[in-house]
Amino acid sequence: MNKLYLWGIIITVLMLVFTYMSVAGSEGGLNNDIVNILAITGAVALVIITVFVVIKYVRQMQVDSVTGDLADENWDGIGEYTNEVPTGWAVTFLLTMVWGMWYFTVGYPINSYSQIGEYNEDTVAHNTKFEAQYKDITGDRLIEMGESVFLAECKVCHGINADGIDGKAANLNQRIEAVSVKYVIANGANNMKTDFPGGMPPMMLTDSAQIDAVADYIVSGFPEGHAGVEAFLMGGCTGCHGEKGEGMPFVGPKLNGFDIATVTSILKDGKKGAIGTMPKFERLNPKQIEAVGAYITSLSK
Amino acid sequence: MFHWLEKHPFFLAVGVFLVISFAGLVEILPNFAQQSRPVIGTAPYSTLELAGRHVYIKNSCNACHSQLVRPFKSETDRYGHYSLSGEYAYDRPFLWGSKRTGPDLMRVGNYRTTDWHENHMKDPSGVVPGSIMPAYRWMFTNSADIDTAFAEQLTIAQFFSVPYNKPVPMKDGSTTVVKMGSSVAEANALALSEAKVIAADMKDQDVKDAVANGNIPEIVALIAYLNSLK
Repeated sequence: MNKLYLWGIIITVLMLVFTYMSVAGSEGGLNNDIVNILAITGAVALVIITVFVVIKYVRQMQVDSVTGDLADENWDGIGEYTNEVPTGWAVTFLLTMVWGMWYFTVGYPINSYSQIGEYNEDTVAHNTKFEAQYKDITGDRLIEMGESVFLAECKVCHGINADGIDGKAANLNQRIEAVSVKYVIANGANNMKTDFPGGMPPMMLTDSAQIDAVADYIVSGFPEGHAGVEAFLMGGCTGCHGEKGEGMPFVGPKLNGFDIATVTSILKDGKKGAIGTMPKFERLNPKQIEAVGAYITSLSK
Repeated sequence: MFHWLEKHPFFLAVGVFLVISFAGLVEILPNFAQQSRPVIGTAPYSTLELAGRHVYIKNSCNACHSQLVRPFKSETDRYGHYSLSGEYAYDRPFLWGSKRTGPDLMRVGNYRTTDWHENHMKDPSGVVPGSIMPAYRWMFTNSADIDTAFAEQLTIAQFFSVPYNKPVPMKDGSTTVVKMGSSVAEANALALSEAKVIAADMKDQDVKDAVANGNIPEIVALIAYLNSLK
């Protein structure tokens, strides 16, 4: 027997033993699992095929001799056979060229895949589904949706509890903070211009005691008989924000609490004030904005 | 056929040239397409923004943050419109990044503001609980390199015809002009006037004082750059 075959058998046996030890012989074993059995069958087949192929080519290198005629031309003594191109190979090559030309001129241009096209379809499908699914939600489910939008979009600045993270952003558990009231009275306000195009002039009140009283009146929720009532009236606040801070459409926003409309106005234009600047959130869809409004309203109730 | 070509090197060379030229055309021609021109609304970086971009690159922000929004619903929901190639027209080099340890920053200027960046760069986990981003406190004391930014502006204006001091079309139909100084002193003055606007929105007194004294900390330049990403 040829030494080569002997080595082949030895290596096959060794590899099979190794395979058995590492898979079937290990703890758990094949476990009658179809995937394990398929894997081990594949491994055994691979071992045998590998050894067989290696033996075939090593053998060929050992015994094969040169056949065929050399072409006329040679390069520094390196020649080339005039063997015919194998028919199957030649046909495949030509077909590939034909297919390539077809693909370049017709196949791709006429039936091309577009990532943007797929994106557009995805978006339309998603929006339709979203609308159908959430068209009518109200109450707790709307607030729930608002909370999830809040956690995705708003918590980065306002914090998970909407408390503004120690004054880094507005605390949304209350409509407005005293520091903001004072800032707005001193500097005026140019926020929410889409819904309240007039803006608010600065210095409607200049006396610091009155300003403090108004701030406290607003922050404490417009209680009856508060010391700030008079100053609130005197500063002309009621003219735009209403007697109890209930707001007036197109004139002055509501101050005695959040509602969906107020939140919507803020999201539309963003805001700039004592605490900092808030960007506008155009990318939320109307339902999401409504939901955030409902959630934020629910926080201060 | 191939034997004949092999025996005639000149025609073989012609064939090789044809094949490579075609491949070259396929690669190069699309760069001249309309889609590769600056998108309307994309303006060159101002001196301060460019200095901020240098700070961004110097601190390897692009190792964790990409600037490339892919056209998937999940991405456009989070980051805004998917990126267009013409939006990178003035990025040399572009900062696509290849890995998102942090979020994408392609359009961060749309949904974060100066004061947030200030809080965040000082103490990231203070605003984003569980954030693994390190704090970049030295940016509040190091000075931004305006001279280098100006040198880059001069270079790209001259060699790549970046339209400084020329009207650039914006999305709403108007035009804007990004100014570039004609001297180092003028460039510094321009950057300082931009920096004052940013510093007015910041809380850190040292930064405000520095800007008031004509010195621009790196953080101001970086925020100017981040705000310009839209």
